[in-house]
Amino acid sequence: MAARTEFDLEVIDALIVREEATLEPNRQASIAYRAKADRYVAGGVASSWQDSPPHAIYIDRGEKNRIWDIDQNEYVDFHLGYGAMVVGHAHPKIVEAIRRQAALGTHFAQPTKHLDVIGENLTERFSLPLWRFANSGTEATLEAGRLMRANTGRDMIIKIEGTYHGHHDSLMFSVTPEASDMGPREHPTTVPQAMGIPQAFADLVIVVPYNDLEAARRAFAEHEGKVAGMILEPAMMNCGVILPEAGYLQGLKDLCHENGAYLAFDEVKTGATLAYGGAVEAFGVVPDIICLAKAIGGGTPCGAIGATQELYQPIVDGTYDMAGTFNGNPLTMAASQATLLEVLTPEAYEGFDRIDKAMKDGLTSVIEKTGLPAYVSGIGAKGSVIYSTEPVREYRDAVGIDERISYLAWLFQQNRGVFKSPWTKQETWTLSVWHTEDDAARYIANFEEFATAVTA
Amino acid sequence: MGTTETVEIDLGLVEELTKQETAALDAKHARSLSYRDEAKRHLPGGVSSSWQTWPPHPIYVDRGEGSRVWDIDGNEYVDYHNGYGVMVMGHAHPKIVEAVRDRVAKGTHFAQPTEDALPVAEQLAERTGLPYWRFGNSGTEATLDAVRIMRASTGRDLIVKVEGTYHGHHDALMVSVFPPEDQAGPRERPNSVPQTPGLIPGTLESVVNVPFNDLELARQVFAERGSEIAGMIIEPVMTNCGVVLPDEGYLDGLKETCHTHGAMFAYDEVKTGFTVAWGGAIEAFGVQPDLVAFAKALGAGIPCGAIGGTEEAMAGVISGDIDQVGTFNGNPLTMAAARVNLTEVLVKPAYQRLDEINEILHRCDDVIARYRLTASMKTLGAKGSIDWSSTPIHEYRDLWKIDDRVPQLAWLWQLNRGVFKSPGSKWESWTTSIVMSDADADRYVENFESFAQAITS
Repeated sequence: MAARTEFDLEVIDALIVREEATLEPNRQASIAYRAKADRYVAGGVASSWQDSPPHAIYIDRGEKNRIWDIDQNEYVDFHLGYGAMVVGHAHPKIVEAIRRQAALGTHFAQPTKHLDVIGENLTERFSLPLWRFANSGTEATLEAGRLMRANTGRDMIIKIEGTYHGHHDSLMFSVTPEASDMGPREHPTTVPQAMGIPQAFADLVIVVPYNDLEAARRAFAEHEGKVAGMILEPAMMNCGVILPEAGYLQGLKDLCHENGAYLAFDEVKTGATLAYGGAVEAFGVVPDIICLAKAIGGGTPCGAIGATQELYQPIVDGTYDMAGTFNGNPLTMAASQATLLEVLTPEAYEGFDRIDKAMKDGLTSVIEKTGLPAYVSGIGAKGSVIYSTEPVREYRDAVGIDERISYLAWLFQQNRGVFKSPWTKQETWTLSVWHTEDDAARYIANFEEFATAVTA
Repeated sequence: MGTTETVEIDLGLVEELTKQETAALDAKHARSLSYRDEAKRHLPGGVSSSWQTWPPHPIYVDRGEGSRVWDIDGNEYVDYHNGYGVMVMGHAHPKIVEAVRDRVAKGTHFAQPTEDALPVAEQLAERTGLPYWRFGNSGTEATLDAVRIMRASTGRDLIVKVEGTYHGHHDALMVSVFPPEDQAGPRERPNSVPQTPGLIPGTLESVVNVPFNDLELARQVFAERGSEIAGMIIEPVMTNCGVVLPDEGYLDGLKETCHTHGAMFAYDEVKTGFTVAWGGAIEAFGVQPDLVAFAKALGAGIPCGAIGGTEEAMAGVISGDIDQVGTFNGNPLTMAAARVNLTEVLVKPAYQRLDEINEILHRCDDVIARYRLTASMKTLGAKGSIDWSSTPIHEYRDLWKIDDRVPQLAWLWQLNRGVFKSPGSKWESWTTSIVMSDADADRYVENFESFAQAITS
């Protein structure tokens, strides 16, 4: 094994210049279209996170594990619409379901017969009895916060430092706080992620580090009787794939319940991706509330909130309304039904595990061969290379990692036919049911070029 | 109306008729009733949104085509509900079906920009005169963005809203949506009444409510707290109490007041956009806000939302200082449907059809006069309502004097006679579609007449 090397940031800067120069000539249509779109679409994109350096890439179409941008560059898609398309693009079963439903009408704001079938499947996967539907992960976590507050009559919510739970006001705090703003680890500062959120709301959110049961215990003790519940991603997904340590999730659940509070899993990213039953199955802990979105809609805007009988009782009684015009939209439901019952079957997860192993084995052997200071973490359809020799257990462990490393890794893949999600300090990927060992091999080969170049 | 010669409605008779109509409805909905029990096992209340159920029971819909829907018992209806005002283009419109079928084969979601967003934004700019647009997945997300942008742009927290309006289910505006009379406080200084338990504490204090159509009271609020106010959000036509039109000068007065105090002025056109006119309320009343939220009819039956604004209002989003984000924002399937919807279906001439339908529906005025009902009717584009009040509803508090048994019976009456309508409580409102036939409109009027006859006999 080669000796672990520190990253030479000068080398990385030089390589970034080279790779950006390679990228640009092949993205002329995107660059030109951006200038046109700018006139009416704020910033040229429909969501701020669709634009990342060096410039937004406009997509034309997708099929299975492949996408084409408007310059007609073809890629193997490991981005998969921020992890939503584990079914792959234009899956024939989903195409059929959507085409059929489109002709039958796609929206009535009345209940239809898809609901029960999907509810039953989600119950089977996640072991929670009752479900409602919405249109995004944001709407799902919004409902989770409200369910916890409404059922306890308490105000405070505990969240993990460095996680994103949608863009509504109640949890837009300490998502990617700057090191200078974070405050002490024992009492992290609740840092607003966005302008335009009243400070009063920040005072109701307690931030704790991931994978630290004692810190959570301390937070409950310091705010005794005031905490409605805790929400977390059971596997933390915004700094690579960070897995929960043994006993952490069960410990949190016990802690919440001892304190008369609820535990909510935000499984928007992990649900139906890590395993058939998401993190619930992968880590064997059933929370009180689960938020789903992304992968369960087969590529249509979707969201779902699962919870216990007890938590849903006020909704059943009509004490309060969980409502939305498009909730349970028949088109989304038709796509969801095909996704959950016909595509993401238990066998599909055997496929994810097989490719996940090929990815981890291949990337790990590159890391060992080149001495890159990094390691690999993955589970099911989700995986990442983490640019640290020490294990990243929580957000603060990842703060010091220079963003240029993962940006360069992204450029290498982008220039060599692999589409990946941008932004994070780590390199995360999502697999679809169509991904093959050959796709993994391409990813690994590109990674080897990158690793060789930065360690040269 | 204003006639003094209205008949007194016998509420005993109304209750008797309600029993009969409920029994008749139950008999037609055996499958909906039994399916609800099945659905309850995994869905709270058997539905996916609390507002999909209404007494006496939820009605499960099987399919729709053009102006018609069929429930799972096989009952056919002319659809005046239109999915809470979304389907003004009609169900399974061939052009929308084609657009969806075409896009689905090319992939529906990348979380990357695609080429359909621009023509949609271009259309929105043309219809509203507002140049810059972003997308979301619901009206809730659109008004959430509006509030965030107003607060972020001004550095102020306070939002002024109108008492008795709904702007989505996020926390910031779930205040005084349907405040009960005993909690609402004085009209000049309405209380902030939580619409739901579980709101973020501090929400009530960050909202000030004013009555609709009262410019003076709004001016007073700004005079007192102007330096704290980020902006005002309003439905330019108030649509949760029937169709309540803005008085002459009200909207421009509000805009001027906002700007005088350095605050922003936002329209929630989730319900009025693409329905009351080609250019929504902006066209209908000629006052352009700083920001406007759209959803519902924009997506032609696919979850959708949009937030648009002036260059100044959207500057923070354009520069990247304000993140306006979401995985599904600008979803290619939604954008493909919206593009065809705006460029080929809900085109200017289509709105003439809505006026023709309204001409027929206004025969209800004759019915009201002939049967001397304490009621009045209003229409604007695809939207219309009958207020069970001798004077048109002018603001939320006018609803309190209306007995909701009459509109509830009116709703049941239509349902039992082949007209599907959104349930109301104290008013009777509807959305028409551009594919409705004269006969579809006649059916509404005929049912309304037989109802008038029954309650006055």
